[in-house]
Amino acid sequence: MKKRFQGNKIPTYLLLILLSIIYLIPFYIIARNALMTKQEVAQFDWLFWADSPQWANLTNLLNDPIANMKIGLKNSTIVSIFQVIGRLLISSLAGYGLARSRYKWANHVFYLILVAMMVPSAAIFVQTFLVVSYLGWVSTLTGLVVPGMFDVFSVFIFRQFFLDFPKDLEDAASVDGLGSFGTFWRVVVPNSTGVFISLGTLGLIRSWNSFLWPLVVGQSRETWTVQVVLSTFLTAQTINLPALFMGAALGILPVVAIFFIVQRYIVEGVKVTGIK
Amino acid sequence: MKRLALLLSLLLVLALLVACGGETAEPAGTEPAEQPADTSAESSEAAEEPAAEDEIVIQHWYHQYGEEGTFDAVVRYAEEYSAMTPGVRVEVNWVPGDYFAALNSALLTDEGPDVFELQTVTQDRIEAGQLEPLDDLFEGVLDDFNETAMQRVIIDGTIYGVPMIMDPQFVYYNKSMFAEAGVEPPTTMDELQAACTALDTGRVKGLYLSNDMGSTSYLLYMTTWAANSDFIEGDKVVFNTPENVQMWEKKKELVDSGCLLVGATTEWWDPGALNDGLTAMQWVGLWAMPGVVEALGEENVGVMPWPALDENATPSVWIGGWNQSVNANSPNVEAAKDYVRWLWIENPETQIDWNVGYGFHVPPRASIAAQADALKSGPAAEVLDMLAPYGKTTPVTWTGAMDSIYQDAHSEVLLNGADPAEQLAAAQEAAQSELDALLNK
Amino acid sequence: MTTHELVETAVSPPPSRSSRKRQDTIEFWLFVGPLVLGLLAFVYIPILWGFVLSFFRARNSVTPTEFVGLENYLELFGDPRFLDSLQTVIIFAIFIVPVTFALSLGLALLVNNAGVNTGLFRTIFFIPTACSYVVASLVWKTSLFNGLPSGFANNILWAINEINPIAWVNTADPPYYWLVLVTVRLWLQSGFYMIIFLAGLQEIPRSIYEAAMVDGAKPGRQTFRHITFPMLRNTSVSVILLLFIEAFQAFDEFRNILATGGSSGAQILARPPLVYLYNVAFQDQNYGRGAAGAFVIAALIMVVTVVQGRLFGFGRREHQ
Repeated sequence: MKKRFQGNKIPTYLLLILLSIIYLIPFYIIARNALMTKQEVAQFDWLFWADSPQWANLTNLLNDPIANMKIGLKNSTIVSIFQVIGRLLISSLAGYGLARSRYKWANHVFYLILVAMMVPSAAIFVQTFLVVSYLGWVSTLTGLVVPGMFDVFSVFIFRQFFLDFPKDLEDAASVDGLGSFGTFWRVVVPNSTGVFISLGTLGLIRSWNSFLWPLVVGQSRETWTVQVVLSTFLTAQTINLPALFMGAALGILPVVAIFFIVQRYIVEGVKVTGIK
Repeated sequence: MKRLALLLSLLLVLALLVACGGETAEPAGTEPAEQPADTSAESSEAAEEPAAEDEIVIQHWYHQYGEEGTFDAVVRYAEEYSAMTPGVRVEVNWVPGDYFAALNSALLTDEGPDVFELQTVTQDRIEAGQLEPLDDLFEGVLDDFNETAMQRVIIDGTIYGVPMIMDPQFVYYNKSMFAEAGVEPPTTMDELQAACTALDTGRVKGLYLSNDMGSTSYLLYMTTWAANSDFIEGDKVVFNTPENVQMWEKKKELVDSGCLLVGATTEWWDPGALNDGLTAMQWVGLWAMPGVVEALGEENVGVMPWPALDENATPSVWIGGWNQSVNANSPNVEAAKDYVRWLWIENPETQIDWNVGYGFHVPPRASIAAQADALKSGPAAEVLDMLAPYGKTTPVTWTGAMDSIYQDAHSEVLLNGADPAEQLAAAQEAAQSELDALLNK
Repeated sequence: MTTHELVETAVSPPPSRSSRKRQDTIEFWLFVGPLVLGLLAFVYIPILWGFVLSFFRARNSVTPTEFVGLENYLELFGDPRFLDSLQTVIIFAIFIVPVTFALSLGLALLVNNAGVNTGLFRTIFFIPTACSYVVASLVWKTSLFNGLPSGFANNILWAINEINPIAWVNTADPPYYWLVLVTVRLWLQSGFYMIIFLAGLQEIPRSIYEAAMVDGAKPGRQTFRHITFPMLRNTSVSVILLLFIEAFQAFDEFRNILATGGSSGAQILARPPLVYLYNVAFQDQNYGRGAAGAFVIAALIMVVTVVQGRLFGFGRREHQ
């Protein structure tokens, strides 16, 4: 259905444009700072744009011997993708089990799982690190990936989604002789593309942006992620803001690109309503 | 379904491509790592060779130094030692971000670093059994080490660290701005207030003490000493003195007068605000000297200690720095000690290189300092002259927990207008209970 | 409403009761088992460990050795800085939850009503979600709200009425720093919740509005109050719960904007509990007290959730 622009929506439209400009300001700032010299960023007066854009900031960044952005981008890609796939698999199974099982303790288990969402991960950080260290996963990508695969938020959204999943589809499958797993894999998953894509994208963003865990677990430079590499521009002796913002821009781009590609599926995916 | 399967498999292929494209292919997430922690951090070719069976690997941790060339330098030291010592390989781990969060977590495990840096050896680390005594390394050379630097590594007569660098902190000023405003370098707090106001032109502010306006612990050390006060005597916390109360009142006046630079994009440890002409005076460390000289020109760089409370007190300079310690839980304590001995006691070239080759630091050994030509002239030499009369450092019983209590109390005064006398009294009580817990009373 | 009826009729033919039960149990754990195993290793064991630790003296060590009973908890509640942090986070939650809620819902309604370019606006409002707290905090601190005339906010104020530059982060009275903290979180979060509301809005059948029009309701405030908002009830409940949990776990922007390297600095103005606990653990290395604090926060979050659950019936399956 093609929609036409309607005259009585002009106020709505103007408001949206104004808000859009406000929401884009920080991105403009990142781009501006990324192309400035160190003096321009720090200077006393406001500057709309760099006098002469410093594209060298980009090449310097990519060739920085210590803060290796290429390794960072590579590690972040690996970590995010494996983490997201694992997380989707584990939480969709769990969400489906919690939504559909007739097991009498199912709800109690669900509440117990919710508890894990309420204890702040920063509060059990040290102990989790020790578990990972006991497993021998310090400074390995495994240590960066695996602990993040168990995510209660995704389970929660999957469960809400599957509660509303049309039951007749599943029934048809079970009439065809498919077991629970068969039904889940052949009927439920194919009809839930939206929720997978949206949770996948959100998960990708979260994995990509996480900082404290990769910093402490990925100790060796070979396992630094983008965010850890970025933090090297805020060192004890000097602060290199243009490099930092250039790095930030570089770090945001892949995520934005992915979001652009899949954004139309996202709305479909996060229905937490239960209204039918 | 097809679309989803396609997307997922595309992602997988992408991940595998990226994983295999690099030289450090690692099947993340597909199999649990069987070998304990592949903690290779160095960029040398040695990293790619599989470790020999009986090879001892020494993990050496540094916090990230910002000066250009420092990383290459530490890798070079490590390679040099590995090459000359059969059966031993040193791996460097360069820690960005929050060094102490990473270090403290790692020290709780069996896979912590063998050799690492600390700013001060503290009693609580000894209690926890983290640090190996290093007295035998100092045989015959103890007298060569600076007394103030040694004060930060000795607990109950035992030495737990080798001083690598000393970092004096003080106030830099722009001489031409002083001349223009007709201001002399201030020696008391009242003079500092007058100078700060006179130098404040609106576009150029008088003084920069970081965006917290001066509640960082290192600056607080200086102001405390400059108020004839100290931190700990024996088993008593003693910073709550009438002079210190006065000092806090004066700092509050300084903040309220509006002559300070607040809200700059760089913090105190980066000389950016001074170099870019946003302020006439800034508190930084000696490490910033090469950059400041380059930006202002040597003839324009002035240095001074933190001004005294009044004529009856003495100005002060904080002598910080970094020390090398050995993890007492390391499986290779002896090899680690040999490496530390080679690097920081037997090897003058590295010590000179490390102290003045990048940023400026003061070598903790008199014999080495005498060879450091970069510190013999200009403003750097003036800084060295300030150390004997004004230089001080904190006692080993002064811990991070006490730091945060003291800083918070000071921030309460500066930001929330709390009463300095009340804050100092309460902080002293809280710090005392930390000290009691530390000394097991 | 249809779900549970169908659950009952779904299985055919029913085998004996006990074997059906056993099969249910096995299937349930096959589905939920991987998650629970992972949570066991990386969440529950750490929680249990922390719980034990909170009753022990654990300085520079995480091995429980000397039992001290409730001492860590008493010390915690004896520390005015911890009490302040609780107060800070409660004030923050009371403020940020309704504001984010209103803004996200507002954005969703606007985007939903735009008619054209919906996708474009939706994308613009959602993209900040892709930004990390670290990067956003830096943009806010160094460029939008720095204290110099070169700050974006100061520049706007000057253009409007020649208002002198304000040190946003370091001014206690009036508390400008809240503006900095709240706007950064709004920018980062509102797009995400807007998407959730959009999903909810699209679930509302058009026919309800059409029926209301026939009855003489005017589009706008009336339909919003009597149709849209009630129909978004479940979405709203979930959103509020998530917002509360996130508010109580506030950490990154508070630390990155207020603290100065090596100093708590302006952190005293607003130090949420997790920042306090981070310092207790990583600076003071007092892991016993850190663990005790973690449980106080977790308990607080649980109380809020349970209260909310009682009020709105959150998280129940439909047939209960």
